[in-house]
Amino acid sequence: METQHFSYDNKIVKYFAYATILWGVVGMLVGLLAALQLAFPIFNFKLAYTTFGRIRPIHTNAVIFAFVGNGIFAAVYYSLQRLLKARMFSDKLSWVHFWGWQAIIVSAAITFVLGITTSKEYAELEWPIDIAITIIWVVFGWNMFGTILRRRADHLYVSIWFYIATFVTVAVLHIGNSIEIPYSWLHSYPVYAGVQDALVQWWYGHNAVAFFLTTPYLGLMYYFLPKAANRPVYSYRLSIIHFWALVFLYIWAGPHHLLYTALPDWAQSLGVVFSIMLIAPSWGGMFNGLLTLRGAWDKVRDNATLKFMVVAVTAYGMSTFEGPMMSLKWVNSLTHYTDWNIAHVHIGALGWNGFLTFGMLYYLFPKMWKTKLYSEKLANAHFWIGTLGIIFYALPLYWGAIVQTLMWKEFTPDGLLAYPNFLETITQILPMYHVRILGGLLYFVGLFLMVYNLLKTAASGKCADNEEASAPALVTSSKRARGEGLHRWLERRPVQFMVLATIAILIGGAFEIIPTYLVKSNIPTIESVKPYTPLELEGRDIYIREGCNTCHTQMIRPFRSETERYGEYSKAGELVYNHPHLWGSKRTGPDLAREGVPGGKMYKTNVWHYNHLLDPQKMNAQSIMPAYPWLIKDDLDTSNTSAKIRAMIKLGVPYDKAPYPANYDLVAHDDMKKQAEEISADLKKNGVEVASEKEIIAVIAYLQRLGRDISVKE
Amino acid sequence: MEKKDKFLEENEHLMSDHDYDGIRELNNPMPTWWRYLFYATIVFSAVYMFRYHVFGDDLQIEEYNKEMALAEANKPKPTFDENSLVLMTDATNIAAGKAIFDKNCVACHATLGEGNAIGPNLTDDYWLNGGSLNDVYKIIKEGKPLKGMLAWQNQLSPEQMLQVSSYVMSLHGTNPPNAKAAEGELYKPEK
Repeated sequence: METQHFSYDNKIVKYFAYATILWGVVGMLVGLLAALQLAFPIFNFKLAYTTFGRIRPIHTNAVIFAFVGNGIFAAVYYSLQRLLKARMFSDKLSWVHFWGWQAIIVSAAITFVLGITTSKEYAELEWPIDIAITIIWVVFGWNMFGTILRRRADHLYVSIWFYIATFVTVAVLHIGNSIEIPYSWLHSYPVYAGVQDALVQWWYGHNAVAFFLTTPYLGLMYYFLPKAANRPVYSYRLSIIHFWALVFLYIWAGPHHLLYTALPDWAQSLGVVFSIMLIAPSWGGMFNGLLTLRGAWDKVRDNATLKFMVVAVTAYGMSTFEGPMMSLKWVNSLTHYTDWNIAHVHIGALGWNGFLTFGMLYYLFPKMWKTKLYSEKLANAHFWIGTLGIIFYALPLYWGAIVQTLMWKEFTPDGLLAYPNFLETITQILPMYHVRILGGLLYFVGLFLMVYNLLKTAASGKCADNEEASAPALVTSSKRARGEGLHRWLERRPVQFMVLATIAILIGGAFEIIPTYLVKSNIPTIESVKPYTPLELEGRDIYIREGCNTCHTQMIRPFRSETERYGEYSKAGELVYNHPHLWGSKRTGPDLAREGVPGGKMYKTNVWHYNHLLDPQKMNAQSIMPAYPWLIKDDLDTSNTSAKIRAMIKLGVPYDKAPYPANYDLVAHDDMKKQAEEISADLKKNGVEVASEKEIIAVIAYLQRLGRDISVKE
Repeated sequence: MEKKDKFLEENEHLMSDHDYDGIRELNNPMPTWWRYLFYATIVFSAVYMFRYHVFGDDLQIEEYNKEMALAEANKPKPTFDENSLVLMTDATNIAAGKAIFDKNCVACHATLGEGNAIGPNLTDDYWLNGGSLNDVYKIIKEGKPLKGMLAWQNQLSPEQMLQVSSYVMSLHGTNPPNAKAAEGELYKPEK
């Protein structure tokens, strides 16, 4: 067998590693700002660009797609080459991938600051960037598959199974959830509405957690943990079973984000049971990781990389037990919409993703720069400060969540809500928000120590951009050898492997999403539900632009404690014209689904909304809502109204049927003007002079429409 | 190697021939308890689906309807006839009424009931929605949401609403400073 000489591309790994660090710093700094804003509204700076509704998606996207994203690519480019004994397929593709991904991140940050967003969580980017993501993701997959096909190692290691599953599933999810109709160069409406949009969104959202934050990081763990510990993987068989179980089951669990909502019961139940069935496959990964350390625990004591990895894998185990528990309906009735979710995802993000990334970086830098870590002591300090940070972040939020949810649900002996004023339940847990800032700060200090340590490490060595290697050429056969296990054979057949993985991940989604479209009884029609007026539609788009759905849900669950507070529970048939749905996932403020029902429990006058949006603290000194003074200053942009109406008609909203006149897209402006003048006149009557062209008029129009169509009290 | 690796020696019989960039894999069986945990969750799931979608246990709307029916049955009924109310005059009830007023009403009707930019003066002879005890009780109970007056029946018990109504009645003629100009119609109590 001839020995072939080649080199590993270390330069691309180096760049991805630096990008991971840079975006980690940025993402966590923005997270700190968001935490400050929730405790002290003054940190919103009364500026459109810096309000919480726009800052929060920057934080989540930066951490997920910039920090963890680059971490994934650093891990894949480093481990894939070595596991396959081959250089990356194409340096050109590698660099297109790297710079393309960074350009997407920068454009994401810019568009979010400008309020250009689709509102769908972790998929907030607008359509041109969605297309760019698709292209760059294909470049990544092409490069990866090219490398796999040119490999010199016959079998694919378990890390690569996870990388393949990640590639195909993220592609399917991203494209499936981003099908939208553009109405301008930077804006679009999703083709899905209401319940269907929510289901597709959480099929995506849940599996972004599964296939962006979990599977690639399991691949990362399977490479770097045995490497750093210099120990064999505990059980090959466990790897096989937990891999296939995980990728098949994960896809089904999305509806657990929508328990007790207007989603049909059968879909909710599937979300519950598939989440429960995920416990063992998830723990399979945790135990294969932890048991790999058998006989190496003495190394953990004085090796920072391993310490980080042990806590990361433990956090993974905690999160993947907690998640299924939160998917039980009675637990969910307490935890949903509260800070429990925030604490839960931070155990995952700070513990699992963050610590695993840190562990990997502490391993990679000395390896690639051919030197020793600058300071093992600093790395240990980072470990302890970071761990404390996680504890100080999560515990107060868990505590606050319990306090708040019990306050929401408490009734007096007279049968009345014990805390009818939503604000009381926020004021009560505000101290917890303060402690959380401390937790975030500690974690950030730890990160800072790492940056210093790694830069010093790099300075003390030299990174060989091309690392020489050699391996015999691959001799393989597509036939199954005698005595070769089926899976062992499959590990040599990457194309078949990918096809099987694709089938496994398509089944669950198809089973849940298709019937929700085809079976009429899932979304019963309600005759009185009508499309939004053009002004309300414009107001809704401002609501989306400002990210109001970040703190205000629009989905009243069928509980006495919610219907007493907000009004009638939300129904599927009410939401058929909502492109996109705006159910939200967290109640930092009250639910707004019935905000516009005259005589309803949530109803406020136009003047109230005006004053409240202008300066919430003036109405309630304790309020943590940001002020929106620019809504009063800025004129409503109506240049896209006609295009919006046309897009809605394409999506099946009946602006083209009676009672709407023909060419309603053009007539719409008259309707809009008339409604705006009515609101402006009402405000004037109550002592507020504001021109009917201002944005706030549209926002008020939208708020006053919410939940109105099925109200009986008109 | 500097010293023998005891762990690797002990596990030699489990070692597979796999080698990926130096990473080896052991052929340990899957932990038994792990397998049983997996089976248990599958059984749980089957039972769950059958329970709710075959045997017809309560889904969320039935669950909600029962919760509401139970609350309705347990709701304390007013101990008095809401159509012919009797003014409370004893100090305890008036003090309780004042406490409710101070907590809920002063934002719009001001501390002494003199009214402000939002709510009317409650101390003069003029009333927007009638000035009898029954009228006051009714407006507190049902509100006038379109004008900004909340329906307090969602937040106060009948007894509390009567307490605060009685307190409001007691404010009549107190002539507080900075009183808001009269609104509504002159109301003269029937003798």
